[in-house]
Amino acid sequence: MLHHIRNKIYLVEVLPPKQDSEKLEKDLEKFSNKYTRVMESGYCACITDNAMGLLSFQGPEIIEELKLPVMPEQVMIHLNTFHRKDDLDNILESCKSKGIKYLLIITGDGSDRLPKLRPSDVDTTDVESVTSVELLKYINREYPDSFVLGVAFNPYEPEEHEFEKMERKIKAGATFIITQPLIEKNEVVDRLIKKYPEIPVVVEAWMSRKLYLLSEAVGYEIPENKEFDPISTLKMLHRLYPECGIYLSLLGFKTQYHLIKDTWT
Amino acid sequence: MKVFTDNEKKEYRNIWVVAEVLSGEIQPVTHELIGAARTLADVRKSEVWVVVMGSGIEKTSELLFSYGADVAIIVDNPSLFGFIDETETKIMKRLIKKYKPEIVICGATTRGRSLIPRIAVMNYSGLTADCTGLSIDSDNGDLLQTRPAFGGNIMATIRSSNHRPQMATVRPRVMKSPEPDPSRTGRMIKEKMIPGDSTKTKNIIDIFHNTETAVNLADAQIIISGGRGMKGPEGFKLLKQFAKRVGGAAVGASRAAVDSGWIPYAHQVGQTGQTVQTKVYIACGISGQIQHLVGMQSCDLIIAIDKNSDTPMMQIADIAVVGDLFEIIPEVIKEIANL
Amino acid sequence: MKIVVCIKQVPATHDAKIDPETKRIIREGIKAILNPFDNYALEEGIQLRDQFGGEVIAISMGPQKAENSLREAISVGVDRAILLSDRAFGGSDTWATSYVLAKAIKKIGNVDLVICGKQAIDGDTAQVGPGIAAHLDWLQATYVMAVDEISSSSIRVKRMHEDGYDVCEIPFPAVITVVKDINIPRVPSLKGVLASKKYKIPVWKPDDIDADKSKIGLDGSPTRVVKTQPPPFRHASTKKIEGTPNDCARSLLKELRMRSII
Repeated sequence: MLHHIRNKIYLVEVLPPKQDSEKLEKDLEKFSNKYTRVMESGYCACITDNAMGLLSFQGPEIIEELKLPVMPEQVMIHLNTFHRKDDLDNILESCKSKGIKYLLIITGDGSDRLPKLRPSDVDTTDVESVTSVELLKYINREYPDSFVLGVAFNPYEPEEHEFEKMERKIKAGATFIITQPLIEKNEVVDRLIKKYPEIPVVVEAWMSRKLYLLSEAVGYEIPENKEFDPISTLKMLHRLYPECGIYLSLLGFKTQYHLIKDTWT
Repeated sequence: MKVFTDNEKKEYRNIWVVAEVLSGEIQPVTHELIGAARTLADVRKSEVWVVVMGSGIEKTSELLFSYGADVAIIVDNPSLFGFIDETETKIMKRLIKKYKPEIVICGATTRGRSLIPRIAVMNYSGLTADCTGLSIDSDNGDLLQTRPAFGGNIMATIRSSNHRPQMATVRPRVMKSPEPDPSRTGRMIKEKMIPGDSTKTKNIIDIFHNTETAVNLADAQIIISGGRGMKGPEGFKLLKQFAKRVGGAAVGASRAAVDSGWIPYAHQVGQTGQTVQTKVYIACGISGQIQHLVGMQSCDLIIAIDKNSDTPMMQIADIAVVGDLFEIIPEVIKEIANL
Repeated sequence: MKIVVCIKQVPATHDAKIDPETKRIIREGIKAILNPFDNYALEEGIQLRDQFGGEVIAISMGPQKAENSLREAISVGVDRAILLSDRAFGGSDTWATSYVLAKAIKKIGNVDLVICGKQAIDGDTAQVGPGIAAHLDWLQATYVMAVDEISSSSIRVKRMHEDGYDVCEIPFPAVITVVKDINIPRVPSLKGVLASKKYKIPVWKPDDIDADKSKIGLDGSPTRVVKTQPPPFRHASTKKIEGTPNDCARSLLKELRMRSII
């Protein structure tokens, strides 16, 4: 991940088509266009895993079906704990064979249709419920040296609890951290950066104007602000966190993509 | 059977309850149904009959009269040990043909819900599941059955005017059990099984009682329940500590929490989980979707803890605690220790 | 082995919201989905076929758009799908629905096993599975939480009860209804979904299944919905507790002690 920060490579979130899409072919085409655009810009495409519990197709199967190229430094897959064991193993195998190296390991959101990994699926017995920590341990054990594993940090959750979890995530083998979206200077993130000077931290920038969506995503009320301007906020985050990478969530490919080209200087 | 005139309807009389028998014991839901049947029978000036099918059940059946039954039909046979839906269906079909009840009600338990649809199809009877209200047309005996539909979002009233007997199921603890009156008596009719009743090909190999895994929400005095606001399995650990401190409290959950895999299904309260009627229900971080509310709103005291005071749960609660439950609950636990 | 899985398209009721003014359901924007319990029935059918060979067929009664649910069944791996759709089927209650499905199963012919989800989330009746078994006069096992053994002539299952479970064996042909514990349903793959879009779903009408027209639709149904109303709400005069976490905790405990709950 240091490579991305040094070379000013944005991590750009790309949402895969949803399972219940009524115009799947079109959505696949859109996905393909976005992905290709990210590749051509030299950025890193980050494909989410059933974000917010909404059933979507998996990154590796789309890459396979659409025969998209994989540049190892330019693809990241989110992977959460809501999978059947055989699906999890398939995703990991598929990532490995395609040369997808970066995985963001998160606990994730479930739904009716998204089965939670059971402790036995990841060969643990000492927990009641599988979290990102158990998933990290499993991947590190089963696929040593195949992947670069990152984890999420939520500065909006109770602070001590979150730091305690982070400690376990690091012990389980996480080597980079991506924060929940920031829209201003955040002291909890400052503390995180100080606490783990050797671990690359990527700050997430919220590129949608809709702050209520951010509230839903982080689970805490973010005050509405009519003045909220994602691009100038992004510039501010660069100033505030020069040592960090940046992850762009909900980036508008039509309206914003051309604007970010020269923001990281 | 299809019936075409009021005169044909008149051939069908009395309100029947199919008893729920578990391990040779009649279950409380049967008493609750007798109570409901009594009200209907009084309107129709008819009788409450209870059909008990099982093995070694005569003794347990004697109590039925004290709850309001007039007649108990006992089908006592070793081959009725365990649940053979097909055999019980055949017996019921024969009894219905013989005695012509106006209404047959049954507990909406796994057994009742398996048995009675089969009986209803065989008899061409209308059947309404999970009724929360039953009333009767005093003139023609039409049963007005009210049940939640569409995930509990509406209540539908259902009639089956052209078919007799009319059939309904009611979930346990939806009706209040009457106070038993030991001085009440009734008639017992013993019916024998005939060779044609048995379904020999269904073979019950083993029966396992495992009450250990059952989460006893029904018997708890206090339920502490968590929803989406618990944010994860960790949140439920906090609720378990809370429950332990309160003493004798069970932990419940909303569908959202169960679907997210934070806690097993056995804890789920609501339309698709368990209906509960406890003394105290403490809802933590549960917004209160209707499908949840229908399962707990008849609890005596409802307490809600949530940082959002506008949720439906906070509105219906007797006590609404506004604030961050991750801060409040640890304080409550601490304060209980100081008592 | 020939397996039929009966599925239903339902409104996603858990997404339903109530209009605070009229207290009625806001029906706009509620999606139609495959009944969640039917995913378990499909998965079990597919697993049994994979283990034992043969064919698994999904059938559904409903409007034309219910074919989306059948397509979903194809996308997870069933071999064939049939839609039972006709104006004459409209308004069927559980009695008439199970009659139509039973007739279709007869028409398919040589079926060994029918699998249904334990209930559909719109009606929550759990009546159609046993209803089908009764119309066909086949044996049934309901609330099945595990299939222990299967042979060419019988199936041995665990049936869930309130106080535990039993193990029972029934000969084919038979109907089982399954609960969530039985398996973990697969999620459709992109390949499966793309293939299902090309599948042509045959539509069967009453004549195709030799249905007695007096037994289907509204007229064939013994029950009638005569009224719908919003559910009763508990009316409470809510006592609000606010303040610091400690204030809240103390006030709450005071209330509980006043009522001698603790």
